[in-house]
Amino acid sequence: MAPTLASRIAGISDTKAFPWLLLLPALVLVFAVIIYPTISGIDLSFRQMRLNRMDLGTGYVGLRHYIALLDDPVFWISLQNTAAWVIGTVILELAFGLVIAVALDYELPGFRFMSVIILLPWFLPLVVAGNLWALMLDSRLGIINAALQGMGLIDGFKAWFADPNWALPAAIAVETWHGFPFFGLLLLAGLKGIPHELYEAAAVDGAGFWRRFIHIQLPGLRMIIVATVVLRAISLMNSPELLLILTGGGPGRSTQVLSLYAFQKAYREFNFGYAGALSVLMFVLLMVCSWLYVRYSNALKAD
Amino acid sequence: MRRGGFERTVIYLIASAFTFFAAFPVIWALNISLKFEKDIITRHVSLLPNPATLTNYIAIWTQSNLPDLMWNSAVATFFTVVICVFAGTLAAYSVSRLEYRGRGNVLLFFLILRMFPVVLMIIPLFIIMRQAGLLDTRIGLALAYTAFLLPIFIWMMKGFFDAIPMELEEAARIDGCTRIGAMWLVVLPLVKGGLWACAVFIGIAAWNEYLFALMLTTSSGSRTWPVGLQLMVGEFQLPWGALTAGGILSILPVLALFAIVQRSMVRGLAQGAVKG
Repeated sequence: MAPTLASRIAGISDTKAFPWLLLLPALVLVFAVIIYPTISGIDLSFRQMRLNRMDLGTGYVGLRHYIALLDDPVFWISLQNTAAWVIGTVILELAFGLVIAVALDYELPGFRFMSVIILLPWFLPLVVAGNLWALMLDSRLGIINAALQGMGLIDGFKAWFADPNWALPAAIAVETWHGFPFFGLLLLAGLKGIPHELYEAAAVDGAGFWRRFIHIQLPGLRMIIVATVVLRAISLMNSPELLLILTGGGPGRSTQVLSLYAFQKAYREFNFGYAGALSVLMFVLLMVCSWLYVRYSNALKAD
Repeated sequence: MRRGGFERTVIYLIASAFTFFAAFPVIWALNISLKFEKDIITRHVSLLPNPATLTNYIAIWTQSNLPDLMWNSAVATFFTVVICVFAGTLAAYSVSRLEYRGRGNVLLFFLILRMFPVVLMIIPLFIIMRQAGLLDTRIGLALAYTAFLLPIFIWMMKGFFDAIPMELEEAARIDGCTRIGAMWLVVLPLVKGGLWACAVFIGIAAWNEYLFALMLTTSSGSRTWPVGLQLMVGEFQLPWGALTAGGILSILPVLALFAIVQRSMVRGLAQGAVKG
Protein backbone atom coordinates (compact mmCIF):
# COMPACT_ATOMS: atom_id res chain seq x y z
CA MET A 1 0.00 0.00 0.00
CA ALA A 2 1.39 3.40 -0.94
CA PRO A 3 2.13 5.65 2.04
CA THR A 4 -0.39 8.45 2.49
CA LEU A 5 0.70 12.06 2.38
CA ALA A 6 0.15 12.43 6.10
CA SER A 7 2.39 9.53 6.99
CA ARG A 8 5.04 10.75 4.58
CA ILE A 9 5.14 14.15 6.26
CA ALA A 10 5.22 12.40 9.61
CA GLY A 11 8.22 10.41 8.37
CA ILE A 12 10.10 13.55 7.39
CA SER A 13 9.35 15.15 10.72
CA ASP A 14 11.56 12.64 12.51
CA THR A 15 14.60 13.13 10.30
CA LYS A 16 17.60 15.29 11.03
CA ALA A 17 16.71 17.71 8.24
CA PHE A 18 13.38 18.60 9.81
CA PRO A 19 14.52 21.69 11.81
CA TRP A 20 16.08 23.12 8.67
CA LEU A 21 13.02 22.25 6.62
CA LEU A 22 10.94 24.33 9.02
CA LEU A 23 13.42 27.19 8.70
CA LEU A 24 13.50 27.00 4.93
CA PRO A 25 10.61 29.36 4.03
CA ALA A 26 11.88 32.03 6.45
CA LEU A 27 15.47 31.68 5.24
CA VAL A 28 14.45 31.91 1.58
CA LEU A 29 12.40 35.03 2.29
CA VAL A 30 15.11 36.63 4.39
CA PHE A 31 17.65 35.96 1.67
CA ALA A 32 15.43 37.41 -1.03
CA VAL A 33 14.29 40.56 0.75
CA ILE A 34 17.11 41.33 3.21
CA ILE A 35 20.43 39.67 2.42
CA TYR A 36 20.42 40.00 -1.34
CA PRO A 37 19.21 43.63 -1.37
CA THR A 38 21.74 44.56 1.31
CA ILE A 39 24.62 43.00 -0.59
CA SER A 40 23.52 44.60 -3.83
CA GLY A 41 23.15 47.90 -1.93
CA ILE A 42 26.77 47.66 -0.84
CA ASP A 43 27.71 46.83 -4.43
CA LEU A 44 25.73 49.86 -5.63
CA SER A 45 27.75 52.16 -3.41
CA PHE A 46 30.80 51.44 -5.58
CA ARG A 47 28.94 52.06 -8.80
CA GLN A 48 27.61 54.88 -10.85
CA MET A 49 23.84 54.62 -10.76
CA ARG A 50 21.57 57.54 -11.46
CA LEU A 51 18.15 56.54 -12.66
CA ASN A 52 17.61 59.92 -14.28
CA ARG A 53 21.01 59.90 -15.96
CA MET A 54 21.31 56.38 -17.29
CA ASP A 55 23.57 57.74 -20.04
CA LEU A 56 26.34 57.78 -17.41
CA GLY A 57 26.12 53.99 -17.30
CA THR A 58 26.32 51.78 -14.22
CA GLY A 59 30.02 51.01 -14.15
CA TYR A 60 32.19 50.73 -11.06
CA VAL A 61 33.65 53.97 -9.80
CA GLY A 62 35.58 52.59 -6.88
CA LEU A 63 35.58 54.75 -3.79
CA ARG A 64 34.47 57.87 -5.59
CA HIS A 65 31.20 58.24 -3.70
CA TYR A 66 32.91 57.74 -0.36
CA ILE A 67 35.53 60.36 -1.15
CA ALA A 68 32.81 62.73 -2.33
CA LEU A 69 31.04 62.15 0.97
CA LEU A 70 33.98 63.45 2.97
CA ASP A 71 33.83 66.70 1.01
CA ASP A 72 30.07 66.99 1.30
CA PRO A 73 29.21 69.56 4.01
CA VAL A 74 25.64 68.20 4.20
CA PHE A 75 27.04 64.83 5.19
CA TRP A 76 28.89 66.31 8.16
CA ILE A 77 25.86 68.33 9.25
CA SER A 78 23.72 65.20 8.94
CA LEU A 79 26.16 63.24 11.06
CA GLN A 80 26.02 65.89 13.78
CA ASN A 81 22.23 66.10 13.62
CA THR A 82 21.93 62.32 13.74
CA ALA A 83 23.94 62.28 16.96
CA ALA A 84 21.82 65.05 18.51
CA TRP A 85 18.59 63.45 17.31
CA VAL A 86 19.40 59.95 18.57
CA ILE A 87 21.03 60.95 21.87
CA GLY A 88 18.43 63.61 22.70
CA THR A 89 15.49 61.34 21.95
CA VAL A 90 16.89 58.30 23.73
CA ILE A 91 17.71 60.25 26.90
CA LEU A 92 14.23 61.81 27.09
CA GLU A 93 12.46 58.56 26.28
CA LEU A 94 14.51 56.63 28.83
CA ALA A 95 13.81 59.25 31.52
CA PHE A 96 10.07 59.28 30.81
CA GLY A 97 10.01 55.50 30.51
CA LEU A 98 11.78 55.04 33.87
CA VAL A 99 9.42 57.40 35.67
CA ILE A 100 6.29 55.82 34.26
CA ALA A 101 7.54 52.27 34.79
CA VAL A 102 8.35 52.94 38.47
CA ALA A 103 4.95 54.61 38.89
CA LEU A 104 2.95 51.86 37.18
CA ASP A 105 4.79 49.21 39.20
CA TYR A 106 2.75 50.34 42.24
CA GLU A 107 -0.24 48.56 40.66
CA LEU A 108 -2.79 50.90 42.17
CA PRO A 109 -6.45 50.61 41.12
CA GLY A 110 -6.96 51.96 37.60
CA PHE A 111 -3.34 51.52 36.55
CA ARG A 112 -4.05 48.68 34.14
CA PHE A 113 -6.34 50.90 32.14
CA MET A 114 -3.87 53.79 32.31
CA SER A 115 -1.02 51.60 31.08
CA VAL A 116 -3.04 50.66 27.99
CA ILE A 117 -3.65 54.35 27.21
CA ILE A 118 0.02 55.19 27.80
CA LEU A 119 1.06 52.46 25.40
CA LEU A 120 -1.12 53.86 22.63
CA PRO A 121 1.31 56.38 21.01
CA TRP A 122 3.75 53.56 20.29
CA PHE A 123 1.18 51.88 18.06
CA LEU A 124 0.07 54.96 16.19
CA PRO A 125 1.40 55.45 12.66
CA LEU A 126 4.09 58.11 12.36
CA VAL A 127 2.12 59.83 9.62
CA VAL A 128 -0.70 60.41 12.09
CA ALA A 129 1.55 61.09 15.09
CA GLY A 130 3.58 63.63 13.13
CA ASN A 131 0.58 65.47 11.77
CA LEU A 132 -1.25 65.50 15.11
CA TRP A 133 1.69 67.37 16.57
CA ALA A 134 2.09 69.56 13.52
CA LEU A 135 -1.52 70.55 14.11
CA MET A 136 -0.99 71.24 17.82
CA LEU A 137 2.18 73.23 17.12
CA ASP A 138 0.65 75.09 14.17
CA SER A 139 1.68 78.73 13.94
CA ARG A 140 -1.87 79.99 13.44
CA LEU A 141 -4.19 77.76 15.45
CA GLY A 142 -1.99 75.40 17.45
CA ILE A 143 -3.26 74.66 20.94
CA ILE A 144 0.28 74.45 22.33
CA ASN A 145 1.01 77.95 21.10
CA ALA A 146 -2.24 79.11 22.68
CA ALA A 147 -1.38 77.42 25.96
CA LEU A 148 2.20 78.73 26.09
CA GLN A 149 1.02 82.22 25.29
CA GLY A 150 -1.66 81.93 27.94
CA MET A 151 1.02 81.06 30.48
CA GLY A 152 3.10 83.98 29.27
CA LEU A 153 6.02 81.81 28.15
CA ILE A 154 6.03 83.06 24.55
CA ASP A 155 5.08 86.44 23.14
CA GLY A 156 3.26 85.37 20.00
CA PHE A 157 2.37 82.18 18.15
CA LYS A 158 5.54 80.47 17.04
CA ALA A 159 6.21 78.47 13.87
CA TRP A 160 8.27 75.81 15.64
CA PHE A 161 9.24 73.80 12.57
CA ALA A 162 10.22 76.91 10.61
CA ASP A 163 12.79 78.05 13.17
CA PRO A 164 16.22 76.44 12.62
CA ASN A 165 16.90 76.59 16.37
CA TRP A 166 13.64 74.96 17.38
CA ALA A 167 12.88 72.51 14.57
CA LEU A 168 15.09 69.70 15.88
CA PRO A 169 14.06 70.04 19.55
CA ALA A 170 10.41 70.11 18.48
CA ALA A 171 10.90 66.98 16.39
CA ILE A 172 12.65 65.30 19.34
CA ALA A 173 9.64 66.15 21.52
CA VAL A 174 7.28 64.53 19.01
CA GLU A 175 9.44 61.41 18.69
CA THR A 176 9.65 61.19 22.48
CA TRP A 177 5.87 61.16 22.71
CA HIS A 178 5.81 58.36 20.18
CA GLY A 179 8.63 56.28 21.68
CA PHE A 180 8.57 56.61 25.49
CA PRO A 181 5.90 53.90 25.88
CA PHE A 182 8.39 51.41 24.42
CA PHE A 183 10.78 52.13 27.31
CA GLY A 184 7.93 52.24 29.81
CA LEU A 185 6.64 48.83 28.74
CA LEU A 186 9.99 47.04 28.78
CA LEU A 187 11.24 48.65 31.99
CA LEU A 188 7.96 47.78 33.70
CA ALA A 189 8.42 44.18 32.59
CA GLY A 190 11.92 44.37 34.08
CA LEU A 191 10.67 45.75 37.41
CA LYS A 192 8.19 42.88 37.67
CA GLY A 193 11.14 40.51 37.45
CA ILE A 194 12.86 41.91 40.56
CA PRO A 195 12.40 39.43 43.44
CA HIS A 196 10.07 40.59 46.20
CA GLU A 197 12.49 39.58 48.93
CA LEU A 198 14.80 42.42 47.94
CA TYR A 199 12.07 44.98 48.62
CA GLU A 200 11.15 43.31 51.90
CA ALA A 201 14.76 43.33 53.06
CA ALA A 202 15.00 47.01 52.14
CA ALA A 203 11.79 47.76 54.04
CA VAL A 204 13.23 46.09 57.14
CA ASP A 205 16.26 48.37 56.80
CA GLY A 206 13.89 51.31 56.60
CA ALA A 207 14.84 52.27 53.06
CA GLY A 208 12.68 54.99 51.54
CA PHE A 209 11.69 55.61 47.96
CA TRP A 210 15.05 56.92 46.76
CA ARG A 211 17.17 54.25 48.34
CA ARG A 212 14.85 51.61 46.93
CA PHE A 213 15.21 53.16 43.50
CA ILE A 214 18.99 53.59 43.57
CA HIS A 215 19.92 50.33 45.28
CA ILE A 216 17.30 47.87 44.04
CA GLN A 217 15.42 49.04 41.00
CA LEU A 218 18.21 50.65 38.95
CA PRO A 219 20.66 47.76 39.38
CA GLY A 220 17.85 45.31 38.61
CA LEU A 221 17.06 47.12 35.39
CA ARG A 222 20.65 47.54 34.20
CA MET A 223 20.56 44.86 31.51
CA ILE A 224 17.20 45.95 30.18
CA ILE A 225 18.24 49.59 30.07
CA VAL A 226 21.29 48.72 28.00
CA ALA A 227 19.23 46.52 25.66
CA THR A 228 16.41 49.01 25.16
CA VAL A 229 18.76 51.96 24.66
CA VAL A 230 20.71 50.10 21.97
CA LEU A 231 17.61 48.76 20.19
CA ARG A 232 15.96 52.15 20.22
CA ALA A 233 19.11 53.99 19.11
CA ILE A 234 19.39 51.60 16.18
CA SER A 235 15.79 52.09 15.13
CA LEU A 236 16.06 55.87 15.47
CA MET A 237 19.21 55.94 13.38
CA ASN A 238 17.50 53.75 10.81
CA SER A 239 14.19 55.49 10.33
CA PRO A 240 13.86 58.90 8.73
CA GLU A 241 10.04 58.77 8.65
CA LEU A 242 9.12 61.32 11.28
CA LEU A 243 11.56 63.95 10.06
CA LEU A 244 10.48 63.29 6.50
CA ILE A 245 6.90 63.98 7.53
CA LEU A 246 7.54 66.93 9.83
CA THR A 247 10.33 68.92 8.21
CA GLY A 248 11.86 67.12 5.24
CA GLY A 249 15.25 68.03 6.73
CA GLY A 250 14.61 71.76 6.88
CA PRO A 251 14.55 74.61 7.54
CA GLY A 252 17.92 74.85 5.86
CA ARG A 253 19.69 71.67 6.97
CA SER A 254 18.76 71.99 10.62
CA THR A 255 16.93 68.65 10.86
CA GLN A 256 18.83 66.75 8.16
CA VAL A 257 19.91 63.33 9.45
CA LEU A 258 21.87 60.57 7.70
CA SER A 259 18.97 58.22 6.99
CA LEU A 260 16.86 61.05 5.63
CA TYR A 261 19.70 62.36 3.50
CA ALA A 262 20.27 58.92 2.00
CA PHE A 263 16.57 58.44 1.35
CA GLN A 264 16.23 61.83 -0.34
CA LYS A 265 19.31 61.23 -2.49
CA ALA A 266 17.59 58.11 -3.79
CA TYR A 267 13.98 59.23 -3.82
CA ARG A 268 14.36 62.78 -5.08
CA GLU A 269 17.60 62.81 -7.04
CA PHE A 270 17.62 59.14 -8.08
CA ASN A 271 21.32 59.11 -7.23
CA PHE A 272 21.31 55.49 -6.07
CA GLY A 273 25.09 55.11 -5.96
CA TYR A 274 25.64 58.03 -3.62
CA ALA A 275 22.63 57.06 -1.49
CA GLY A 276 24.13 53.58 -1.31
CA ALA A 277 27.42 54.91 -0.01
CA LEU A 278 25.60 56.93 2.65
CA SER A 279 23.62 53.87 3.75
CA VAL A 280 26.72 51.69 3.90
CA LEU A 281 28.31 54.23 6.21
CA MET A 282 25.22 54.11 8.40
CA PHE A 283 25.40 50.34 8.36
CA VAL A 284 28.97 50.49 9.65
CA LEU A 285 27.92 52.89 12.42
CA LEU A 286 25.05 50.59 13.38
CA MET A 287 27.34 47.58 13.45
CA VAL A 288 29.73 49.42 15.76
CA CYS A 289 26.77 50.17 18.06
CA SER A 290 25.66 46.54 18.01
CA TRP A 291 29.17 45.34 18.70
CA LEU A 292 29.48 47.72 21.65
CA TYR A 293 26.16 46.38 22.91
CA VAL A 294 27.24 42.76 22.71
CA ARG A 295 30.54 43.52 24.43
CA TYR A 296 28.97 45.72 27.06
CA SER A 297 26.18 43.31 27.91
CA ASN A 298 28.64 40.43 28.15
CA ALA A 299 30.74 42.52 30.53
CA LEU A 300 27.62 43.24 32.58
CA LYS A 301 26.68 39.57 32.69
CA ALA A 302 30.15 38.76 33.89
CA ASP A 303 29.90 40.78 37.10
CA MET B 1 4.16 46.41 50.75
CA ARG B 2 2.64 49.28 52.66
CA ARG B 3 2.89 52.67 51.07
CA GLY B 4 2.07 55.98 52.66
CA GLY B 5 -0.86 58.07 51.51
CA PHE B 6 1.42 60.89 50.32
CA GLU B 7 3.46 58.51 48.16
CA ARG B 8 0.29 57.09 46.65
CA THR B 9 -0.98 60.54 45.77
CA VAL B 10 2.24 61.51 44.04
CA ILE B 11 2.28 58.25 42.09
CA TYR B 12 -1.32 58.78 41.01
CA LEU B 13 -0.48 62.30 39.87
CA ILE B 14 2.49 61.11 37.81
CA ALA B 15 0.54 58.28 36.19
CA SER B 16 -2.36 60.60 35.39
CA ALA B 17 -0.05 63.19 33.89
CA PHE B 18 1.51 60.62 31.57
CA THR B 19 -1.89 59.21 30.64
CA PHE B 20 -3.01 62.71 29.72
CA PHE B 21 0.21 63.34 27.79
CA ALA B 22 -0.23 60.11 25.81
CA ALA B 23 -3.91 60.54 25.06
CA PHE B 24 -4.25 64.28 24.53
CA PRO B 25 -3.08 64.57 20.88
CA VAL B 26 -5.56 61.91 19.81
CA ILE B 27 -8.41 63.47 21.80
CA TRP B 28 -7.52 66.84 20.35
CA ALA B 29 -7.63 65.48 16.79
CA LEU B 30 -10.99 63.88 17.53
CA ASN B 31 -12.19 67.24 18.78
CA ILE B 32 -10.99 69.04 15.65
CA SER B 33 -12.45 66.41 13.34
CA LEU B 34 -15.91 66.97 14.82
CA LYS B 35 -15.86 70.75 14.29
CA PHE B 36 -17.00 72.88 11.39
CA GLU B 37 -14.10 74.38 9.46
CA LYS B 38 -15.02 77.93 10.48
CA ASP B 39 -14.78 76.91 14.15
CA ILE B 40 -11.34 75.37 13.58
CA ILE B 41 -9.64 78.33 11.92
CA THR B 42 -10.28 80.75 14.69
CA ARG B 43 -7.77 82.03 17.18
CA HIS B 44 -10.30 81.43 19.89
CA VAL B 45 -9.47 77.82 20.73
CA SER B 46 -12.47 75.96 22.09
CA LEU B 47 -11.95 72.72 23.95
CA LEU B 48 -15.14 71.03 22.78
CA PRO B 49 -16.75 70.83 19.35
CA ASN B 50 -19.81 73.02 19.64
CA PRO B 51 -21.77 72.50 17.48
CA ALA B 52 -20.47 69.02 16.61
CA THR B 53 -20.70 67.64 13.10
CA LEU B 54 -19.80 64.59 11.06
CA THR B 55 -19.38 66.67 7.87
CA ASN B 56 -15.61 66.14 7.83
CA TYR B 57 -15.95 62.37 8.03
CA ILE B 58 -18.49 62.27 5.24
CA ALA B 59 -16.37 64.62 3.13
CA ILE B 60 -13.09 62.70 3.42
CA TRP B 61 -14.82 59.35 2.87
CA THR B 62 -16.85 60.34 -0.18
CA GLN B 63 -14.76 63.06 -1.81
CA SER B 64 -11.23 61.68 -1.51
CA ASN B 65 -9.75 58.32 -2.45
CA LEU B 66 -9.28 57.37 1.21
CA PRO B 67 -11.44 54.22 0.89
CA ASP B 68 -9.24 53.00 -1.99
CA LEU B 69 -6.08 53.87 -0.07
CA MET B 70 -7.28 51.99 2.99
CA TRP B 71 -8.28 49.02 0.84
CA ASN B 72 -4.76 48.90 -0.66
CA SER B 73 -3.29 49.01 2.83
CA ALA B 74 -5.62 46.24 3.95
CA VAL B 75 -4.57 43.99 1.04
CA ALA B 76 -0.84 44.61 1.59
CA THR B 77 -1.29 44.06 5.34
CA PHE B 78 -3.18 40.82 4.76
CA PHE B 79 -0.43 39.38 2.55
CA THR B 80 2.26 40.49 5.01
CA VAL B 81 0.52 38.76 7.90
CA VAL B 82 -0.09 35.57 5.92
CA ILE B 83 3.55 35.37 4.83
CA CYS B 84 4.92 36.11 8.31
CA VAL B 85 2.57 33.73 10.11
CA PHE B 86 3.37 30.88 7.73
CA ALA B 87 7.16 31.25 7.47
CA GLY B 88 7.65 32.80 10.92
CA THR B 89 5.71 30.26 12.96
CA LEU B 90 7.57 27.32 11.40
CA ALA B 91 10.92 29.03 11.95
CA ALA B 92 10.07 30.04 15.53
CA TYR B 93 8.99 26.48 16.32
CA SER B 94 12.27 25.21 14.92
CA VAL B 95 14.49 27.52 16.98
CA SER B 96 12.40 27.12 20.13
CA ARG B 97 11.50 23.44 20.34
CA LEU B 98 14.07 21.45 18.40
CA GLU B 99 17.64 20.61 19.34
CA TYR B 100 20.25 20.80 16.62
CA ARG B 101 23.67 22.15 15.83
CA GLY B 102 23.70 25.72 14.62
CA ARG B 103 20.47 26.70 16.38
CA GLY B 104 22.15 29.43 18.40
CA ASN B 105 23.69 30.89 15.27
CA VAL B 106 20.34 30.89 13.48
CA LEU B 107 18.84 32.85 16.37
CA LEU B 108 21.70 35.33 16.39
CA PHE B 109 21.34 35.66 12.63
CA PHE B 110 17.67 36.64 12.95
CA LEU B 111 18.61 39.14 15.66
CA ILE B 112 21.33 40.80 13.59
CA LEU B 113 18.91 41.10 10.67
CA ARG B 114 16.88 43.53 12.77
CA MET B 115 19.81 45.93 12.67
CA PHE B 116 20.15 46.10 8.90
CA PRO B 117 19.45 49.66 7.77
CA VAL B 118 16.17 50.01 5.96
CA VAL B 119 17.52 52.71 3.65
CA LEU B 120 20.23 50.38 2.40
CA MET B 121 17.65 47.74 1.47
CA ILE B 122 15.09 50.08 0.02
CA ILE B 123 17.18 51.19 -2.98
CA PRO B 124 18.06 47.73 -4.32
CA LEU B 125 14.53 46.55 -3.52
CA PHE B 126 13.26 49.28 -5.81
CA ILE B 127 15.48 48.00 -8.62
CA ILE B 128 14.72 44.32 -7.96
CA MET B 129 10.98 44.90 -7.74
CA ARG B 130 11.04 46.87 -10.95
CA GLN B 131 12.82 44.04 -12.74
CA ALA B 132 10.43 41.48 -11.30
CA GLY B 133 7.39 43.54 -12.21
CA LEU B 134 6.50 43.85 -8.51
CA LEU B 135 7.03 47.59 -8.27
CA ASP B 136 3.82 49.43 -7.51
CA THR B 137 1.96 46.24 -6.57
CA ARG B 138 0.46 45.36 -3.21
CA ILE B 139 2.07 41.91 -3.12
CA GLY B 140 5.48 43.52 -3.80
CA LEU B 141 4.89 45.86 -0.91
CA ALA B 142 3.92 42.95 1.33
CA LEU B 143 7.17 41.15 0.44
CA ALA B 144 9.15 44.27 1.31
CA TYR B 145 7.36 44.57 4.67
CA THR B 146 8.33 41.00 5.41
CA ALA B 147 11.94 42.15 5.26
CA PHE B 148 11.74 44.03 8.53
CA LEU B 149 8.81 42.25 10.19
CA LEU B 150 9.73 38.57 9.82
CA PRO B 151 12.76 38.69 12.17
CA ILE B 152 10.69 40.48 14.85
CA PHE B 153 7.85 38.00 14.40
CA ILE B 154 10.21 35.04 14.84
CA TRP B 155 11.69 36.47 18.04
CA MET B 156 8.29 37.29 19.54
CA MET B 157 6.82 33.94 18.57
CA LYS B 158 9.82 32.09 19.98
CA GLY B 159 9.00 33.64 23.36
CA PHE B 160 5.50 32.18 23.27
CA PHE B 161 6.78 28.74 22.21
CA ASP B 162 9.41 28.78 24.97
CA ALA B 163 6.69 29.29 27.57
CA ILE B 164 5.09 25.90 26.84
CA PRO B 165 6.53 23.03 28.87
CA MET B 166 8.50 20.50 26.84
CA GLU B 167 6.90 17.67 28.85
CA LEU B 168 3.54 18.18 27.13
CA GLU B 169 5.04 17.50 23.76
CA GLU B 170 7.11 14.59 25.05
CA ALA B 171 4.01 13.02 26.61
CA ALA B 172 2.20 13.25 23.28
CA ARG B 173 5.13 11.61 21.53
CA ILE B 174 5.22 8.75 24.02
CA ASP B 175 1.53 8.26 23.28
CA GLY B 176 2.52 7.60 19.67
CA CYS B 177 2.22 11.07 18.21
CA THR B 178 4.71 11.96 15.49
CA ARG B 179 6.81 15.11 15.83
CA ILE B 180 4.63 17.03 13.43
CA GLY B 181 1.49 15.58 15.01
CA ALA B 182 2.59 16.85 18.42
CA MET B 183 3.37 20.23 16.93
CA TRP B 184 0.01 20.53 15.19
CA LEU B 185 -2.24 18.97 17.85
CA VAL B 186 -0.52 19.88 21.12
CA VAL B 187 1.75 22.91 20.76
CA LEU B 188 -0.04 25.09 18.20
CA PRO B 189 -3.37 25.17 20.06
CA LEU B 190 -1.50 26.28 23.20
CA VAL B 191 0.23 29.23 21.49
CA LYS B 192 -2.93 30.35 19.72
CA GLY B 193 -3.20 33.48 21.88
CA GLY B 194 0.41 34.40 21.28
CA LEU B 195 0.08 33.73 17.58
CA TRP B 196 -2.88 36.11 17.39
CA ALA B 197 -0.94 38.76 19.26
CA CYS B 198 2.10 38.46 17.00
CA ALA B 199 -0.07 38.51 13.89
CA VAL B 200 -1.84 41.64 15.10
CA PHE B 201 1.47 43.32 15.95
CA ILE B 202 2.79 42.58 12.45
CA GLY B 203 -0.51 43.69 10.97
CA ILE B 204 -0.43 47.05 12.77
CA ALA B 205 3.16 47.66 11.71
CA ALA B 206 2.34 46.89 8.07
CA TRP B 207 -0.80 49.01 8.17
CA ASN B 208 1.20 51.96 9.54
CA GLU B 209 4.28 51.66 7.31
CA TYR B 210 5.25 54.76 5.37
CA LEU B 211 8.79 54.67 3.97
CA PHE B 212 8.68 51.50 1.86
CA ALA B 213 5.24 52.45 0.60
CA LEU B 214 6.48 55.87 -0.44
CA MET B 215 9.39 54.39 -2.38
CA LEU B 216 7.73 51.32 -3.84
CA THR B 217 4.31 52.61 -4.90
CA THR B 218 3.86 55.20 -7.59
CA SER B 219 0.22 55.07 -8.63
CA SER B 220 -3.14 55.18 -6.91
CA GLY B 221 -3.63 51.51 -7.84
CA SER B 222 -1.41 50.35 -4.99
CA ARG B 223 -0.74 53.47 -2.91
CA THR B 224 -1.40 52.92 0.79
CA TRP B 225 -3.20 55.28 3.14
CA PRO B 226 -0.17 56.77 4.98
CA VAL B 227 1.32 57.87 1.66
CA GLY B 228 -2.03 59.11 0.39
CA LEU B 229 -2.83 61.00 3.58
CA GLN B 230 0.57 62.66 3.63
CA LEU B 231 -0.02 63.75 0.03
CA MET B 232 -3.31 65.28 1.12
CA VAL B 233 -1.49 67.20 3.88
CA GLY B 234 1.39 68.38 1.74
CA GLU B 235 0.34 68.79 -1.85
CA PHE B 236 -3.41 69.06 -1.84
CA GLN B 237 -3.59 71.19 1.33
CA LEU B 238 -6.89 69.73 2.44
CA PRO B 239 -8.65 71.49 5.33
CA TRP B 240 -7.63 70.42 8.84
CA GLY B 241 -11.07 69.10 9.70
CA ALA B 242 -11.11 66.65 6.80
CA LEU B 243 -7.50 65.61 7.45
CA THR B 244 -8.02 64.86 11.11
CA ALA B 245 -11.17 62.94 10.23
CA GLY B 246 -9.09 60.93 7.74
CA GLY B 247 -6.42 60.32 10.39
CA ILE B 248 -8.97 59.14 12.93
CA LEU B 249 -10.62 56.82 10.39
CA SER B 250 -7.26 55.28 9.46
CA ILE B 251 -6.26 54.52 13.03
CA LEU B 252 -9.63 52.97 13.95
CA PRO B 253 -8.54 49.47 12.85
CA VAL B 254 -5.35 49.86 14.90
CA LEU B 255 -7.26 50.93 18.00
CA ALA B 256 -9.77 48.10 17.66
CA LEU B 257 -7.15 45.38 17.19
CA PHE B 258 -4.93 46.82 19.89
CA ALA B 259 -7.80 46.87 22.40
CA ILE B 260 -8.58 43.20 21.70
CA VAL B 261 -5.13 41.69 22.06
CA GLN B 262 -3.17 44.27 24.10
CA ARG B 263 -2.56 42.02 27.07
CA SER B 264 -0.89 39.12 25.30
CA MET B 265 0.77 41.41 22.79
CA VAL B 266 2.45 43.36 25.56
CA ARG B 267 3.71 40.11 27.05
CA GLY B 268 5.12 38.98 23.69
CA LEU B 269 6.80 42.29 23.02
CA ALA B 270 8.42 42.37 26.43
CA GLN B 271 9.69 38.80 26.11
CA GLY B 272 10.95 39.18 22.57
CA ALA B 273 12.81 42.40 23.21
CA VAL B 274 14.13 41.65 26.67
CA LYS B 275 15.59 38.34 25.64
CA GLY B 276 16.94 39.94 22.49
